Amino acid sequence: MTTRTVGEPIARREDPRLLTGQGRFLDDIGSAGLAAAFVRSPHAHARIVDIDVTDALAVDGLVAIYTHDDLPGRVGETLPVLIPHEALTHGRTACPLAKNEVNHVGEAIVMVVATDRYLAEDACERIRVDYELLPPVVGIEAARDGDLLVHDDVPGNVSAHLVQETGDARAAIDTAPRVLDLDLEIERSASTPLEGRGVHARWDGDDHSLRVYTSTQASTSVRAALAAKLELPLDRVEVIAPDVGGGFGVKIVHPWPEEVLVAWAAIMLGQEVKWTEDRREHFVSAAHERGQLQHVRVGYDDDGHLLGLDVTIWHDNGAYTPYGIIVPIITTTQLLGPYKPGAYRAEFHSLYTNTVAVTPYRGAGRPQGCFAMERTMDAIAADLGLDRAVVRERNFIGPDEMPYDHGLTFQDGRPLIYDSGDYPATLAKVKKLIGWDAFEAIRDEARAAGRRVGIGLGCYVEGTGVGPYEGGFVKVETDGTVVVATGLTTQGQGHQTVFAQVVADELGVALDDVVVTTGDTRRFGYAVGTFASRAAVMSGNAVALAARKVRQKALRIAGEALEADPRDLEIVDGVVQVKGVPGATIPLRTVAVLSNPLRYAFDAESQRATQFAAPADPDRPPVADDDEPGLEGTDYYSPPRSTFANGMHAAIVETDPETAEISILRYCVVHDCGTLINPRIVQGQIHGGVAQGVGGALYEKLVYDDAGQLLNASFMDFLMPYASEIPVIETDHLQTPSPLNPLGIKGAGEAGVIPVSAVLASAIEDAESSQGIRISRMPISPSELYHLRAEATNEEGDS
Amino acid sequence: MTAMTPTGPAESLHEVTLTVNGVPRSASVPARRLLSDFLRHDLGLTGTHVGCEHGVCGACTVLVDGETIRSCLQFAVMHDGAEVTTVEGCARGDGELSAVQRAFGECHGLQCGFCTPGFVTTVTAYLDQHPDPSEAEAREAITGNLCRCTGYQNIVASVLRAAQLRREEREEAPG
Amino acid sequence: MKVTGSAVLHASREQVWQALTDPAVLVRTIPGCLRLEATAPDAYAMTVTAGVGTIKGVYAGDVRLHDQHAPGSFVLSASGAGAPGTVSCDVAVTLSEDGDAATQVAYSADAVVGGMIGGVGQRMLAGVAKKTAGEFFAAVDDVLAGREAVPAAASTTAASTTGRDAGVVYTAPPPALPRGALLTGEFTRGVLVGAAIALAGAVVGGWAAGRQRR
Repeated sequence: MTTRTVGEPIARREDPRLLTGQGRFLDDIGSAGLAAAFVRSPHAHARIVDIDVTDALAVDGLVAIYTHDDLPGRVGETLPVLIPHEALTHGRTACPLAKNEVNHVGEAIVMVVATDRYLAEDACERIRVDYELLPPVVGIEAARDGDLLVHDDVPGNVSAHLVQETGDARAAIDTAPRVLDLDLEIERSASTPLEGRGVHARWDGDDHSLRVYTSTQASTSVRAALAAKLELPLDRVEVIAPDVGGGFGVKIVHPWPEEVLVAWAAIMLGQEVKWTEDRREHFVSAAHERGQLQHVRVGYDDDGHLLGLDVTIWHDNGAYTPYGIIVPIITTTQLLGPYKPGAYRAEFHSLYTNTVAVTPYRGAGRPQGCFAMERTMDAIAADLGLDRAVVRERNFIGPDEMPYDHGLTFQDGRPLIYDSGDYPATLAKVKKLIGWDAFEAIRDEARAAGRRVGIGLGCYVEGTGVGPYEGGFVKVETDGTVVVATGLTTQGQGHQTVFAQVVADELGVALDDVVVTTGDTRRFGYAVGTFASRAAVMSGNAVALAARKVRQKALRIAGEALEADPRDLEIVDGVVQVKGVPGATIPLRTVAVLSNPLRYAFDAESQRATQFAAPADPDRPPVADDDEPGLEGTDYYSPPRSTFANGMHAAIVETDPETAEISILRYCVVHDCGTLINPRIVQGQIHGGVAQGVGGALYEKLVYDDAGQLLNASFMDFLMPYASEIPVIETDHLQTPSPLNPLGIKGAGEAGVIPVSAVLASAIEDAESSQGIRISRMPISPSELYHLRAEATNEEGDS
Repeated sequence: MTAMTPTGPAESLHEVTLTVNGVPRSASVPARRLLSDFLRHDLGLTGTHVGCEHGVCGACTVLVDGETIRSCLQFAVMHDGAEVTTVEGCARGDGELSAVQRAFGECHGLQCGFCTPGFVTTVTAYLDQHPDPSEAEAREAITGNLCRCTGYQNIVASVLRAAQLRREEREEAPG
Repeated sequence: MKVTGSAVLHASREQVWQALTDPAVLVRTIPGCLRLEATAPDAYAMTVTAGVGTIKGVYAGDVRLHDQHAPGSFVLSASGAGAPGTVSCDVAVTLSEDGDAATQVAYSADAVVGGMIGGVGQRMLAGVAKKTAGEFFAAVDDVLAGREAVPAAASTTAASTTGRDAGVVYTAPPPALPRGALLTGEFTRGVLVGAAIALAGAVVGGWAAGRQRR
């Protein structure tokens, strides 16, 4: 019996080449071509008066200098709003090169092409742009005030305003026995993958076709966008995602200005052109996320049951809205987590500021929503003097209430209906893992010794596997290799291994015989992309379905060859055999030969296969009406709705009474993502998510000054955590399979990051409970904690 | 390999010769050519990666005369005549993965692989000096390299596993 | 693409007019010009090496002087094609006195550029055009100031029997000094030398004959 690989922590197939420096990332491709670099706005808001390139002409090696005036037709038009929404009444996007106005530091104005990146940058430095400065809008409060506008034709800087409600939350709150108000803030952060963006384009003038490599999460979509912008037939454009050094959401935006421009320049100049951004460029011209102001009003009873929840979010969407309003929609819909809110009203205002555009970053608005909800639960518990876990449990949706319809619309435009999950069981597991019930004694003992330790808890539900579909292609070659292709992309999630596991199990072949390609439009044409924790759900199921088609065909053909009923056949280690009849076998690769009725025996395999050829029926065609040559199959997985994973994290922290330094002593995760294809890979995703969550809770914030200058556009000042900042992460799993897909999978990619700010805020408050501080903003640094302590002391002094 | 175009009288070229992974390599480059770009584009050894170009992330770490350096903060001309080891040179002499490389594979110490070359060179040099680290020491050894994917836990495990594999190799070695 | 500019030349209007409409001067002052061959009155076939950034090549084309109002203005129309692309332009040139011994030359060019060099961006093209114009006028100034000698009308060794417009060829000498960043490197210099040697029998007489008709 073939060993089943799904569920096993199989070592990754991609590792040997990545470990020996044989990876092929964007900048590793095409060193012989031309290099592009950009002149970017140093001002947050300005009109472009003049561009003088005279001094740049002296740079030897200069090939071209382009401004907006040079961009023809669609190339120069504004970039698309990828996800329109009726509430996005004032969506705005940039042109690939600024036309008259720039709206954030970093916006591209001039593209230079030269024989070498160094020379291209030399030329950029010598280009003089004259600006008429305009007053910038920085910060949510300034945007909300509306005195100054980012876009002249967007009143109040509001790109979108949306209200969703179920029941009458305000009435419920008015009649509730107890009411609380919270004002919360989450600061801006960013995905910051270790590899920045990059594009390499090659135009074949002989057959009028374009090949683009780009460090993207959505190669199929980039292809469609480029074909449209460059007015090329779709089948003349190929887009390939090579090895990608991390994405975390920022590489889902498409087309970047640089993708359009580099491809266009390659066509104009008839030479390969490549652009790879440097770190500062990434900080000021890719995308940011997380920044929100929140107001929560909650009505509840004396037992802590939620009666009504009224949430208002002011979301900073930066200068443009290329990805629409997905992030605030997710914040307002996923805020509810595992709870029944009674009545719920969620309103958001998405606001423009003269800063880098905001598009999804791992979690995509969920961390903000989770923060709001969990801070609220903690506040209720504090008000009632109840255990924070007890308050939460009282409000859980019960496992018997699944599927649970919230009466809201989710980010995919479909009803927000949780398909499965056992929240009480998850809570029990995380409490056990962290030692929740025994902690009070530990806290008291520490306090007696002059130490401040605290425990925190955070719960979330994550909609994953959003559609509309993904596809899979599976083919058995005549040498026994099983070729698998899917259109979505990979940035470290181990897809070459995970999808091979699925197909190997479905077909009954050895894992080593399966070869997987992702993110290459030459190999698979219809896809959506890797984001929203959807790859395993969508492509995992799609390749499984495609493999099942192949299996069915293989058994039919083998049955004819072995003169057996397909139902009596099994496939073990790549060999089709009659169950219980040793010797009645045919290798799968021979079945592949038989599936293609060729006239010629051009190799040993096809010669060998002739022994199995049944006598031909002269009245029937060699390839039946409903059949095709080849042992291959394509299928698509398209779910009716997203499937909802969930998790709960708990942490123990210690704060220093004098320096206010914050240390994480323990961090525990209990996670339910349904069936696990490769537990080690899932765990790795959780670790990485938690690390980004710790970064967002304690270290990472992007700081803009009043002039709209990003003050910390480098790793020196934007503090991503090193190994010294990340605790050991203890994990446990639940598996409530999703009823929505054949493999029962739910997504796991973003899970680790969602509740971390909430958990650490909860734990720090607990450690500081003797001080009575309330944490309403993240990230929190030691100096901020110090000030909160001082404020709390002053308040006590006053009262 | 890029054609390094002379930029005119302002930028003269210098012949830089290094021994990289045991092989003498040379190219003519301007003085301002970073060692990272020299390795990647002039010598075609693209295993060394550039993550920040300001010396913070460590993805560009290579060994120069046995010591770890950030190749993005060095000019190629500064190291004329040096012995350099990049990730491509970290495998064993017989082409098999080194103990460090095998350990990372076994412990799932990499995801996207972009930071990995910097960790491999860093850990290789570290274990040469400190063959038997504790868990805390192993964590501290890698605290100068950024990884955005793994959360570091499995990288710490990889360091410890690599130390163990090296011990086993030493025990197996004849004589 | 429109390019305008001006230059001051240190000679009288009449002298400047003479120089700007003299092919023997043009062939050695137009940057990269290899040869001018008279094809008709005030019309020439021209070969020139030109480049925009790293895109350099040889162009062959036609140049025509018309709308001539000596010594105040004329229009030069040119079109050419080469591997890097195509150019056609009309340049209106006006001369005005600037004191006794100087002339202000103003030019206004309207150009259409196609092919590879047409793809390098308008600002770069315009910038390069202005630079080229600047070098051209500086070279003419050198000629006018006697810093550069123009060979006097040579004997007609190969004069056409039909007179003025029979294949008179002007070639540029190898330049003594490089003229700025746009002049090409060793390869093109070799071409210039070779062209000069190969066409050592160049004649100016036909042109002189034609001029006398005005």
